[in-house]
Amino acid sequence: MSTRHRYEIADFEAWRRIARELLLAGVPPHDVDWLDVSDSGSHTLSLFESAGGDVSAARAPAMKPNSSADLFSAADVSGADHQQMPSSDVAEHAAPVLRVSRQCLDVLRSAAMFRDAGRWALLYQALWRWQQGDQAAISPADSDGARIHVMVKAVQHEIHRMHAYVRFRETQGERPAGSPQFIAWFEPVHEILRAGAPYFRQRMGRASWMIATPGGIAQCHGEDIEYGPPIPQPPPIDDAGESLWLSYYQHTFNPSRVNARVMTQHMPVRYWKNLPEGKLIPGLVAQANAGSQQLGQTDSVGARKGAPIRVSAARAMPVREAPRTLDTCTRCELGRHATQGVAGIGPRNASIMLVGEQPGDQEDLQGTVFVGPAGQLLNQALEAATLSRDAIYLTNAVKHFKWEPRGKRRLHKTPAQQEVDACRYWLEQELTEVAPKVIVTLGATALRSVLNHARIKLQDQRGRPLRHGDTWVIPTWHPAYVLRVPDPRARTDALADIVAALRQAQALSESDVVAG
Amino acid sequence: MKLRDKLEILADAAKYDSSCASSGAPKRSSAGKDGLGTTTGMGICHSYTPDGRCVALLKILFTNFCQYDCQYCVNRRSSNVPRARFQVDEVVKLTMDFYRRNYIEGLFLSSGIVRSANYTMEQLVEVARRLREVELFRGYIHLKTIPDADPQLIALAGKYADRLSVNIELPTQESVEKLAPEKNVHTIKMAMGTIRSKLDESQDKRAPRFSPGGQSTQMIVGADASDDRSILDTAVTLYSAYKLKRVYYSAFSPIPDSPSSVPLAPAPRLREHRLYQADFLVRGYGFQVPELLDADRHLALDIDPKLAWALTRRELFPVDLNRADEAMIARVPGIGLRNAQRIVGLRRHRRVSWADLSRLRCPMQKLKPFIVVSDYRPAAEPQSEQLRKALIEPPRQLDLWGAAA
Repeated sequence: MSTRHRYEIADFEAWRRIARELLLAGVPPHDVDWLDVSDSGSHTLSLFESAGGDVSAARAPAMKPNSSADLFSAADVSGADHQQMPSSDVAEHAAPVLRVSRQCLDVLRSAAMFRDAGRWALLYQALWRWQQGDQAAISPADSDGARIHVMVKAVQHEIHRMHAYVRFRETQGERPAGSPQFIAWFEPVHEILRAGAPYFRQRMGRASWMIATPGGIAQCHGEDIEYGPPIPQPPPIDDAGESLWLSYYQHTFNPSRVNARVMTQHMPVRYWKNLPEGKLIPGLVAQANAGSQQLGQTDSVGARKGAPIRVSAARAMPVREAPRTLDTCTRCELGRHATQGVAGIGPRNASIMLVGEQPGDQEDLQGTVFVGPAGQLLNQALEAATLSRDAIYLTNAVKHFKWEPRGKRRLHKTPAQQEVDACRYWLEQELTEVAPKVIVTLGATALRSVLNHARIKLQDQRGRPLRHGDTWVIPTWHPAYVLRVPDPRARTDALADIVAALRQAQALSESDVVAG
Repeated sequence: MKLRDKLEILADAAKYDSSCASSGAPKRSSAGKDGLGTTTGMGICHSYTPDGRCVALLKILFTNFCQYDCQYCVNRRSSNVPRARFQVDEVVKLTMDFYRRNYIEGLFLSSGIVRSANYTMEQLVEVARRLREVELFRGYIHLKTIPDADPQLIALAGKYADRLSVNIELPTQESVEKLAPEKNVHTIKMAMGTIRSKLDESQDKRAPRFSPGGQSTQMIVGADASDDRSILDTAVTLYSAYKLKRVYYSAFSPIPDSPSSVPLAPAPRLREHRLYQADFLVRGYGFQVPELLDADRHLALDIDPKLAWALTRRELFPVDLNRADEAMIARVPGIGLRNAQRIVGLRRHRRVSWADLSRLRCPMQKLKPFIVVSDYRPAAEPQSEQLRKALIEPPRQLDLWGAAA
């Protein structure tokens, strides 16, 4: 046999106190009638079935001081996912331990702002199920959960719209002491004033403001927000700033794209009456529809006198550094997707030249060879070989970065032989101009390009100086290989190989033995 | 010229830039402080104009005097549009006054090119500096970056702005050469590269602040003959090379006294919409451009790009929603990222059924041929061509992107 329980609920806190008592007493949802007596209770929407029947409700009983410290309050202040209810209460009632997750409580608190007479019953039903271990009760795929989510979404939406559509007017001239400088009138559909107002404190700094709504007011004089009972809608203030806004609104509108339906979806008609720009909308739409809808320009701007700018094409052209021919190179397609061609760098009379494969992500951005991670490793190797980077000439076989997109990153891609061939044009110019005694080729691409031999393998040649015309060529690893190889031992060995190659290059460059 | 006249001309001149994002700035608050303004991380659209676009920022040009002659632009030097020019003070005051009344989240300032790229950029930077350092403005600032400006000016712009953008305007070098003779793809990329390098540096907490909302760009759609494939390829190149936050697509709308080098008719807005959808599939869902534009060079207008993709890959469907991984579920037409996540979450409690999807507000008609759930499996497989006909969006919805009349 069950007894019916009836409660009048004015707000979430009241519901929470009673819900806690009822849970502890093990009262199931169908034994409770909830009556909404919030400020808005008399004009609630009837989206959901409300607690029906002839309810002669009793006010919520006053709580004992210690228990009114709130059932779920522990969950509010701590970040923990699950909170045990205050033990004093539990002991007192010898009732089961109540647990509620912070997320669940947040969902219920938001849903409670939804102005609907049936909300308290629904929330208790969900909470009851949660207590029974049925956590799907607040899942959007659950039947109760779906309704709650609709409410939460609507409430969040309304808070967002309050942040967007509140319009302050500035009080002109002298103000009576204590009266705010900026005043707004806003009519939210749900009970969101307290949830929505704190944003304006962050926004307005020390300015004093008031947002009045039919359900109450929020005001702030640079410190904390005070909430108060409703006041009559303030008479509109004549604000010069507002008329500039109206001008802006009309002119940022593009009549050739008129699409009132989308506007109305985002900014429903019910907000228009409190938006200064609202009264312009019908006229703008009518005008746009009456016109050809071809031009984006507002008619009033088109009607003004205008004039072309008298500047010759030659003078208008920005002064730019003449592009290095490398930047305009179209011998292959790589330049299209790169930022810039990256030329070699170093003394024109250097006796050692290092040739790598191609610029990487950083080289492409900075326009300099060997400045990325591989470049840093190369610096280490040069230091270990006691070679000064400034004394040698550094370049790449291919001058543009070849890559493919991987999400928001660029992934290095080995250049194709025809791209290497196309780019040899540039490398040969550098070889002729610098005429080094020794070339250290880093990686297979560089080796193939320098020897102009497409099928030669690095593994067959590595570590042995080769004679190539008048030059010594020393093939070794590319530093990027060292970064890539997973085994730490192999990594150390590879780096040592590069250092050895560099030492050998130095020795050969200083010797009088001429290759060939 | 009165302030109101300037505002009218320079708002009108700026409306062709479609970016209005005010998100991505770090959280700032003026609670109990001198100055004004907050950023909450997510943007707020403070109004909508009857073209359906939001008003989040005061979007104006500093001046529409311009020495360039970009054929698609209303402000090109050969256009006889009325010209105006703001003073730095005027832009600062307008921004503050609009912000106080809760009309905007901040300022989006761009400009025609006057005298030189550096001179123009200096004016924009000075407005932003004044707002930040004199007015202690903590709202959102988006500055257009003039490609040929000195990298030091770009660094300074990034010190004050929440977002920088360099507009590429057209997807290919050939089109830029033809339609925007004074612009240069190389210098545009160099500017984007400078911004990206600064953004990378600013990852280090000790480095100076630099454009925390990243950078974006805009491409005009339908002013040249470029197809959707080249537009999206260029977009992907820019996303990965310069870490752009967004590429905006703006359907070309004809301008007064249009030169013969650009079309007289507006580009279909539905095309712009499809490009945004495809762009989002690439950024958010892990689609590759060649998957979406396999045989065709243009996206279909009658169906959305994910559905178009699914119809060419029938062998991957139906997908069993109780077994597939989240990424594959998100590839099912009609299921978005959020619902894919929810479906996977729900599987931990129970097997997913038809009613669950319905409660998640999935478009069931669209979904039907592509899924298997605990109590449903599609019957005989219809041909892709039939399916396509059945799933074309009803005209009422198409109308959404057309005229409202």
